[in-house]
Amino acid sequence: MAQHLACNDVSVRFYGTSSLTLRNVSISVQPGEKVLLLGPSGCGKSTLLSVLSGIIPGTIEAEVTGSIIRPASVGVMFQDPDAQFCMLTVGDEIAFSLENRAIPQHEMDARIDTAMKQAGLFVPKDTLIETLSGGMKQRLALACLLALEADVLFLDEPTAQLDPQGRHDIFSLLKSIAASNMTMIFVEHVLDGLIDWMDRVILLDATGSIIGEGTPQDVLRQYAKEIEAAGIWRPRLFPYTMDKVSADPSHPLQIAWRDSLEQSKKRAQAPKQKRLDICNVRDLTISYGKTNVLEHISFDITEGEWTAIVGENGAGKSTLLKALAGLEKGRQGNIYIQNRPIRKWPTAKLYEQVGFVFQNPELQFVTDRVYDEVAFGGRIRKFDESKLSEKTHRLLQEFSLDAHRDAHPFTLSQGQKRRLSVATMLLFEQKLLLLDEPTFGQDEATSTQLLARLMQRKEQGTAIVMVTHDMDIVDRYADRVLWISDGAIRFDGAPYRLFSSEESIPGLTRPLSYEWERRVRNGQHKCPIGTN
Amino acid sequence: MVNTSVRLAQINPAVKLTAHLMVMLFLMMIADPATSALLWVLSIVIGILFGGWNIQYIIKRIVPYFAFFLLVFWMLAAFGKGEHIVGEFAWFRITEEGIYNGLTIAFRMLGFVTYGLLFTSTTDTTQLVMSMIHQYRLSPKWGYGLLAGLRFIPLFQSELSQMKAAHKIRGFHAQGKLKSFARYTLPLFTQGIRKAERVAIAMEARGFDGAKPRTYYHVPTIRRIDWMYCAFLFMAVLSLTALSFSFGWLHWTWNGSSA
Repeated sequence: MAQHLACNDVSVRFYGTSSLTLRNVSISVQPGEKVLLLGPSGCGKSTLLSVLSGIIPGTIEAEVTGSIIRPASVGVMFQDPDAQFCMLTVGDEIAFSLENRAIPQHEMDARIDTAMKQAGLFVPKDTLIETLSGGMKQRLALACLLALEADVLFLDEPTAQLDPQGRHDIFSLLKSIAASNMTMIFVEHVLDGLIDWMDRVILLDATGSIIGEGTPQDVLRQYAKEIEAAGIWRPRLFPYTMDKVSADPSHPLQIAWRDSLEQSKKRAQAPKQKRLDICNVRDLTISYGKTNVLEHISFDITEGEWTAIVGENGAGKSTLLKALAGLEKGRQGNIYIQNRPIRKWPTAKLYEQVGFVFQNPELQFVTDRVYDEVAFGGRIRKFDESKLSEKTHRLLQEFSLDAHRDAHPFTLSQGQKRRLSVATMLLFEQKLLLLDEPTFGQDEATSTQLLARLMQRKEQGTAIVMVTHDMDIVDRYADRVLWISDGAIRFDGAPYRLFSSEESIPGLTRPLSYEWERRVRNGQHKCPIGTN
Repeated sequence: MVNTSVRLAQINPAVKLTAHLMVMLFLMMIADPATSALLWVLSIVIGILFGGWNIQYIIKRIVPYFAFFLLVFWMLAAFGKGEHIVGEFAWFRITEEGIYNGLTIAFRMLGFVTYGLLFTSTTDTTQLVMSMIHQYRLSPKWGYGLLAGLRFIPLFQSELSQMKAAHKIRGFHAQGKLKSFARYTLPLFTQGIRKAERVAIAMEARGFDGAKPRTYYHVPTIRRIDWMYCAFLFMAVLSLTALSFSFGWLHWTWNGSSA
């Protein structure tokens, strides 16, 4: 039988590196099959995808051995929504795919319409691409691929840069397209909403070899240990279903949910300790042009408190965080840091009290060495060198960066870069640490490690304020959640009270434990057996 | 802001570009203030008639250049050579020749700015590139590359402002202009190259290789209206020049300075 898509004994080595990125990989994919490639970061799963799609060695040069069979027409969807377009408007971008296939001009408009409809992109054709949200951009990327009418779609972490809502939308869209007989090969970080409709999962280890494959259920069960050790995000529920877990009180997931609920509840009910205020926000209004991004916001932050700022994209979360660091000027109202208006602080003094960790750590690095990066603030303030080195060492140790002290910050891994960017903000024992989506794009292992460090700091009295989309992290770590919606605070209190409230919380996804709790609570009155 | 509904926006961009460049070239050949001023006024009139300009637009876009106009005029008038002295004070020596040349150069500059603006305010970037591909045989590789590159400009801006904020918090002050230039451009450049590489990969992955035969969604052609615009523009320029000649104002660049 002629093979549809396959690679046989393929190894890949990039020029200038001594070790193989992929080792003797053989895969055969049937027409219409949906396959997920899974593995720890840096294991070569993206490389494998690129080899199968022909990007390696076609566009990116590398030494490839072994044979590859692929259909004539393939399409690839990439993770960066800003770096896969070359035109200015939506219609032109889809037309670019058609132009490359030399489709006659008079057929284009109809084909563009079809592709846009299939991708759920209901905007005028002359919409400027830069005005679309990340999720809409990924829809456009998909429409461009559908216009190629490829036999195989390769998807390289298509939702890595989207928020949970955007990710959910893209996954359901892809699932609806998957019903057609299209072959799809995925590399993806977050598996909820995706893994349950895969036909096969292929698991790679850190050295770039296949260690197992099979149906999603089998792989998740059989290789549970390897998956955990490799720091891969596991699905929150799959391979189980809510029905199954609810029905079985001794199910490990149900036990875990019950535990976490109890803990959250306990934390919510714990009497609030009297602590010093670090930051007071009073009647803050911030506007861009004529529209108010935030309106009349007031709250206080005390020592040793972990606050999570949540809300939909564009609700004003990042603006609020920046305002707390004095990077955004309010039109009205005041922010006080240690009872002194933020405007009255000299810049250097202010940032000995307040640290800010940006979403892209690379943009905040200013030196060429990890050690110098941490010591930087002390050097420009002319600290005593021996004291400074002692402090720097302690920070490097605390954030497990000791082994890389002489490396260039840009050469670190994603997780290390993030930890370094946090470490640089703690040299002065800053009282207030602001973080913009600190766990974004990180795997489970590095996220957990970072959060554990932050927890330590919190216990020493640092106030932590972070913007995040991950409600499980909010539930587990935050003492308090600020839900921003339409420029105002919709909720301010313990995560337990927000998630367990009867009201709907649009734009936020409740942790599964609360979903289960709601089900149990409602089940007693309404339906005795949960339905899907 | 490109207003695509106005009449000038319907003109083929390549033709429009050529026509305006020719008028600009013609402006360089004129060496008297009156003709230069007339030709400048013509560009404003065209802007109002066919470019959808109104008074607010002109005030916002053109009036700022009057500062330049005065500066150029003053420089040449006050420091230019000449024999017929009009007035003298402090170390300035105003001569008739200086005033004459100053006005010429200043109006020429205004004319350049306005004809350029007349082009950019009525031309869609994508249409321009497509027209360059079709009318001037620009290779698609360059054309589409150019369009892809344009998308980076707003991206650069947001990254730069983020980096400045980050450096402010870190307390980083680069010593000297050169150092701060290197500090900001290097990371932006590396990010830019990385993004550009990704875009290039994405474009190739979608079957673009710059050589294969391809069709086009937009195929700008040269129509009668394009020739009509050219004819109108050139006729207007020539009549104004003739008018100026009949009044004895006209002076060509190669005739040397006069007055």
